[in-house]
Amino acid sequence: MGAYIIRRILWTIPTVLGVMLLTFALFVVALPDPAITALGKHSSPAVRKSYREKYGLDKPAWLDFTALKSGQIRKAFDSRFFRTLTFQFGKSSHYNRPVSELFLAKAPISLAIQGPVFVIELGLQLLIALYISSWRGRWPDFVVTLLSVLGMSIPIVSLYLLGQWLFGARLHWFPIAGWGVGFFNCIQYAALPILVSVFGGMGGGTRFYRTVVLEQLHSDYVRTARSKGVSRHDALLVHVLRNVLIPVLTNTVTALPGLLMGALVLERMFQIPGAGGLLVEAIFNSDSALVMAVTYFLAVVYCLLVLVTDILYTLVDPRVSLY
Amino acid sequence: MDAPAKNTALDDPIGRSRFGELMLRLYRRPAAFISAIIVALYVIVGLLTFLPVFDRHADLDGSDQLKKDGLIWQIVGKEYAPPSFVSSAAAPPEDPELPPPTGAAASAERVPHGGPIDLLLGTDILGRSVFWHVIYGTRVALTIAVIASALSLTIGTVLGVLAGYFGGIVDAIIIWVVNTVSSVPWILLTLAIIFVLRASFQVAKSDAQDAPQGTTKAAPAGDRDLEAVILAMGLTSWVGLCRLVRGEVLSIRERDYVVAARAMGLDTPRILVRHILPNITHLIIITFSLGAVDFVQAEVVLTLLGLGISAKPSWGRMIDDAKLELLRGVWWQFAAATIAIFVLCLALNLLGDFLRDVLDPRLRGAD
Repeated sequence: MGAYIIRRILWTIPTVLGVMLLTFALFVVALPDPAITALGKHSSPAVRKSYREKYGLDKPAWLDFTALKSGQIRKAFDSRFFRTLTFQFGKSSHYNRPVSELFLAKAPISLAIQGPVFVIELGLQLLIALYISSWRGRWPDFVVTLLSVLGMSIPIVSLYLLGQWLFGARLHWFPIAGWGVGFFNCIQYAALPILVSVFGGMGGGTRFYRTVVLEQLHSDYVRTARSKGVSRHDALLVHVLRNVLIPVLTNTVTALPGLLMGALVLERMFQIPGAGGLLVEAIFNSDSALVMAVTYFLAVVYCLLVLVTDILYTLVDPRVSLY
Repeated sequence: MDAPAKNTALDDPIGRSRFGELMLRLYRRPAAFISAIIVALYVIVGLLTFLPVFDRHADLDGSDQLKKDGLIWQIVGKEYAPPSFVSSAAAPPEDPELPPPTGAAASAERVPHGGPIDLLLGTDILGRSVFWHVIYGTRVALTIAVIASALSLTIGTVLGVLAGYFGGIVDAIIIWVVNTVSSVPWILLTLAIIFVLRASFQVAKSDAQDAPQGTTKAAPAGDRDLEAVILAMGLTSWVGLCRLVRGEVLSIRERDYVVAARAMGLDTPRILVRHILPNITHLIIITFSLGAVDFVQAEVVLTLLGLGISAKPSWGRMIDDAKLELLRGVWWQFAAATIAIFVLCLALNLLGDFLRDVLDPRLRGAD
């Protein structure tokens, strides 16, 4: 098991390097010179030079070969590639503040919305899947399956809009959009986005977990347990749930990018000042340093989350570490 | 009496082509059959908009601003006219901030001159037909789905087959690329590619402006948006299929008929195209039908974020417009686009499920 974990950790290194190369290829090689984009193509070379110096664009892209030849190892690795690789992001050209500072200020707001969405959604999906497994082929099963397919087909944006219209404009239960100051004020504003987001994301997961639970429920070990006198309830919660955890883990990891998209769309529609909105604004402002930093940072975080899940697999099912 | 006879006919694999059997099974499953008809209808509508007869309503190239304003955005009625099948009592309240146009000139200008079809689903903020917007939205949605799918399916299949068939270092490199691309969350990579493409297009545009008149012709903004969206989606969505194909090819490679083909001395391209490819087409078909749903939905999300379609009629734009309209009681533009997307995606989902069940039951799980 220890060997598996070490091997798995080592496997992450090429992936992170690949992510870095991909980001770098997009934002440094393919992207037109930010100095020209920002200042116009008729700007004087001197102005461009000072712009590049200000945002660290004058540094060599990969390696400073002249410094490497003269033996200054430290200076040689002071390139844009290695700075980004080690999370030393530059300054945002729009806000004129360090990128990391901007991102860290906004990220908690996004997490405050997406965290609860994630937990509530997963819990509800599992509960429904476990519950309807005993109704297979009868009307509750049919209704849930139908609702999930319907939910997967409706555009998510339309669902958010309907939620705003129904609960905000019609019933006046929640404010339509906005963000407050202080914990209790924010809860009031966060409730509706969380509600519609959970509702919109239920479909696919519920359908998947239903299939998985049914598969386990009809396997031999459950039949054995039932014939020994284990109650249906215990068989579900003790035997089935434990074996369902692996597909649940897999599905959870694949669902995480969905949360990110949720953050982008929700924050725009509900005017929440979070990191998703920051990213969209940065794209409009041609703020390449910020877009690149957010892309790279979130991709690395995602890599690490995948790594953590893979390690969790071994706890849930020790057979995994045999591979 | 009738049912058993049908079943034996279905179970008998002899004397019926693969396609014929698929059609028979489709006919036997009403939900999938209706879905297939609905998808076909959307495709027909999308194709019909290319006919010159329809140019009265739209010049989608938008190369000529006047033409565009006059045709595509033809004003057919007064602003925010509700659908013609709704009674006039349900008309929305006048916007208090905008004084209604007064005087003979204004009313003469505002005379609705659209036919009953133009006004069928009401009008938008400027008095343009919602019905035609939905119809042309079909064209844009299908264009995105088809071209982005073609791009992503090609990349996914080629890389998957190469990785699975050759193995070794080729496999290792392709797997590394797949892992890398799938490590960047899908929406993030899409946004990053759109960001880069937009910046490049901007540079190209300013170069074209500086160039002497007539030497270069810049593509219209609408095409640029569409290009960026399609490219970004196509380049990010191939990893799933690539993994599936690789796994399948790994097992096909060891089968007797492939070994026999190799032993007979057939060259590798021929084995790949004639012996391997036909046996993974089912994966491509399933991925296409389920992936199209994602493309249609993603257009709406990207357009809402302001990074999708901006100069062509699309369903995403209609829903984006509805952000403010819906709260003021103007529901028809929102409803029309939502229903258009919903019906298409539902049909594609059901059809995709059917294809998966029939073509590759193993992908389904214990349903």
